[in-house]
Amino acid sequence: MVPINFNSEKKMRLRSKLKRMFFGVKKETIPFRIIFAEFKKSLELNNQILDLIADANDKLSGDYIFDEQYIQKTCHRLTELVQQLIVTINHLTDQKYTDLYTNFHRIESEIDSLLSGRTLNQVKDFVLPYSSVSRDLTDSVGGKNAHIAEIGALLDLKIPSGFAITTSAYLYFLDDNNLRNRIFGIREKWRHKEIAVDEASQKISRLILDAEIPDVLKNEILSEAERVSKEYEDVTPCFAVRSSALGEDEISSFAGQYLSCLNIPLNEIPQAYKEVIASLFSPEAMEYRLQMDFRPHEIMMAVACQMMIPAKASGVLYTYNPVRPKEETMIINSAWGLGEPIVSGEVPTDHFVLERRPPHQARELNIVRKDQSMILKGCGGIAIDGVQEEQRMEPSLKKDQLQELARIGIRLEQYFKRPQDIEFAVDSQNKVTVLQSRQLRLQDERAPRACDLTGLGGKYPILFRGKGIAAMEGIGIGPAWILSEEHDLNEFPMGGILVARHATPQLARVIHRAAGFITDIGSTTGHLATVAREFRVPALFNTGNGTELIEHGQEITLDTECLTIYEGVVQELQYYSIQEDPLEEMYEYRLLRRMLKKIEPLNLTDPTAENFTPAGCRTYHDLTRFIHEKAVETIIDLNFYHAHHRDTQAGQLLWDYPLDLILIDVGGGIEGKHEKGIRPEQISSIPMQAILDGMSYPGMWDMSPAGVDFSGFMSSLTRTSPIRSTSPEDVGRNLSVISAEYTNINFRLGYHFTVIDAFVSDNILDNHIYFRFSGGVTETTRRTRRTRLLAKILSHYDFLCEVHGDIVVARLKRTDRDGMLNRLFLLGLLVGFTRQLDVKMVSEDTIITFFNEIKNIMEKKNGK
Amino acid sequence: MENNQTSILILDDEPIVSKRLRPSLEKKGYKVEAFTTSKEALERIEEHEFDIVVTDLKMEGVDGMQFLTLVKEKYPDTEVIVITGFATMATAKESFTKGVFDFLAKPFKLGEIAEVIARAEAKRKRN
Repeated sequence: MVPINFNSEKKMRLRSKLKRMFFGVKKETIPFRIIFAEFKKSLELNNQILDLIADANDKLSGDYIFDEQYIQKTCHRLTELVQQLIVTINHLTDQKYTDLYTNFHRIESEIDSLLSGRTLNQVKDFVLPYSSVSRDLTDSVGGKNAHIAEIGALLDLKIPSGFAITTSAYLYFLDDNNLRNRIFGIREKWRHKEIAVDEASQKISRLILDAEIPDVLKNEILSEAERVSKEYEDVTPCFAVRSSALGEDEISSFAGQYLSCLNIPLNEIPQAYKEVIASLFSPEAMEYRLQMDFRPHEIMMAVACQMMIPAKASGVLYTYNPVRPKEETMIINSAWGLGEPIVSGEVPTDHFVLERRPPHQARELNIVRKDQSMILKGCGGIAIDGVQEEQRMEPSLKKDQLQELARIGIRLEQYFKRPQDIEFAVDSQNKVTVLQSRQLRLQDERAPRACDLTGLGGKYPILFRGKGIAAMEGIGIGPAWILSEEHDLNEFPMGGILVARHATPQLARVIHRAAGFITDIGSTTGHLATVAREFRVPALFNTGNGTELIEHGQEITLDTECLTIYEGVVQELQYYSIQEDPLEEMYEYRLLRRMLKKIEPLNLTDPTAENFTPAGCRTYHDLTRFIHEKAVETIIDLNFYHAHHRDTQAGQLLWDYPLDLILIDVGGGIEGKHEKGIRPEQISSIPMQAILDGMSYPGMWDMSPAGVDFSGFMSSLTRTSPIRSTSPEDVGRNLSVISAEYTNINFRLGYHFTVIDAFVSDNILDNHIYFRFSGGVTETTRRTRRTRLLAKILSHYDFLCEVHGDIVVARLKRTDRDGMLNRLFLLGLLVGFTRQLDVKMVSEDTIITFFNEIKNIMEKKNGK
Repeated sequence: MENNQTSILILDDEPIVSKRLRPSLEKKGYKVEAFTTSKEALERIEEHEFDIVVTDLKMEGVDGMQFLTLVKEKYPDTEVIVITGFATMATAKESFTKGVFDFLAKPFKLGEIAEVIARAEAKRKRN
């Protein structure tokens, strides 16, 4: 075995520990400036990583054109930076965090294999019960399984009992039979036009049908089927075995190209499984995937195994008339018996046209003569049977069933944010079960952009417009539901628009039911904004007083793109709301989304939580966050709690304002002795003085009272309790390293981080200021007003400004001493000031207002 | 046929570029043709003059620089917009000396390219 670095690192650590124990050699032998240089390096890396993640996330918003090369480059750069960051924290901490490498290498290799196109985000399990399937697992279970399981679990609709056979099972089956390369070879011949698609299809199907299912897989499938069928003791368990291929459900025109095997007895499931898998290579499917730009590793079939429902009647519901969507109707076709001949158009069906708008009045009821129906044959198989004479002219659906179906349709459409094509069955107890639901592609021309729909304001009363920030763009229509003491969140209705004072993460609990969110206060970088984007729920935050302008129960239309809230249902917008570019059809988009799942989610949000450990890091963002926390902690521990360094002194700033700031002086930054803390007048660091002057400028620190969010927000920046009462492991400390001419500040404000690094002397060439303000949580898709305001002010005062997502970076060099101090005073003002901006920037006008306010202060100070 | 419709040719070997760009420009009323190989694009250029050409710089076969040189030789009035992932000042400058209208580094926003195209269109209409 090759000796591994890790071991030698461990030994080194042990040796230095022993040395310290026996010889009393302390870390102070390393000069502080070296440790501080490492600390600054870690901050620089941290910033670069967050900027890259924010930029990459921005690309998913749909505004950008990017290619695979961009994804490759970004991922490689991130991997490089995160690795450097781990090296740096280990230098800083005497190799305390070498176990970070374990998860880093795991994430790195997952990213590499995603990039190389070998794999997707798959689970290892071969079968998954519907109870553990969610949309996150789409790459493992296919769209059909993911959708139906989600409908059952989250929308409380009846679905068939069943389970998914995953794409991992598919690959295992292929590899056990050595089929992957053979299939690929045939496919390549067809792609190069050496053989026709029919021939290729037949050859591949034959390979699959002749192969053996490995025993391990077969046993897992059978035992899961047995478990599911135990729920129904009184019937002979028979299953529908259906395709759930990757990409299948994203567009309904692709439906029907794969096989469904019906009424399959338990022991015949494996054979049916093979037949369904073989249909992955039907000629139509092969052609379709070529058009969709599917890569070889995306061609995979998961399978759905569902208990058969002995349907009395079945049918299909379209939530829009796909040919004439502007008519605002829904269409239901149904007949007696099982649904297959209805879907394939083999039997005449009753045709119902209902209004989309409640109470879903019927526009057309066309009852046909139904002589035949498809029924289940006792144990296994299906048969076409004659319908009893008296039922032939009877409607296959009753009035209340039509009503129920219409409601289900609208609910599914609201949830999936697309028109739906829904298959359903009605059982002998007249209960409706949803068999599947997928996107319905409308044939009409795309609707105009919402903002182009001029004149809507004249037609519909506007409750308010021009207020707030769009956290997720889109149209939401439904009854307003105002969260208050009288209204418990648990009672929030399906399809409602939640109106609340604060955009707190707790609201995400009702995301599955919400048609929109409106809040008085909140930022686009919070957790709720992230979740709203994931589920495409339109969200308008920071309206200031939306809760006062909207009435509880009032029907409203929310248009976040135009920052407008209408009273009533704006039909023109409703139609627009479900038309959108199908980004999922782009391979690059799918790839970037998969990559970001490994990079961007932040699981380590609370430094006091149990999972705040190297082992708890599941993404690059987690690793970065963990290291940042530990870097700050290390510097403070070394210099404040333990005072290890002879060349530094440290203490807490004693100030009129409740700012929990620890100062570390590396030379000439503090005058005189301090016992309980450092008084502002003792600070002799000139950059620090200027910043504190700005922060304590009258009115900057205590402006008007703020809401609950704000006080929570304040407490993470500033703490009123004495620092000694909090342990070194405590969170959220603000750190500043100073000398006579130098200041480096790290402020943490909840999720927000501010960094100032400044050197001010009489030599213009040495002077610099670096300022960085970041949202910390980087899921933002657009620049907020706060970001724009900061950029405007900073640019006005000669800073070079860059904006990445919600991050502002400003730099200034080559300015004389007084000019530098003047700008540091400005930064002090801004630090005091920006804490309030999330709450206050309710409209575009506020940018100008605040900009002028700051300008006035600066002019007054400079005696203009 | 609307004769005053501005015609645009897009050439990029990454299919996603035309796939995204084309519908977005068509929605704005442009007449768009898209190609992923310079060979096909050249054939098309032989038979038809476009108002605006949008091309990548780095591609297999005839590269973007050669392509735009040929376009400008044949149709000096056609405005060429360069898009590329290998954005360096050197290549950008070189393309400007060939009479390129503007230069965009990938990734770019749909709004950014729409703005450049609108400027190129305005310039053509002025001339």
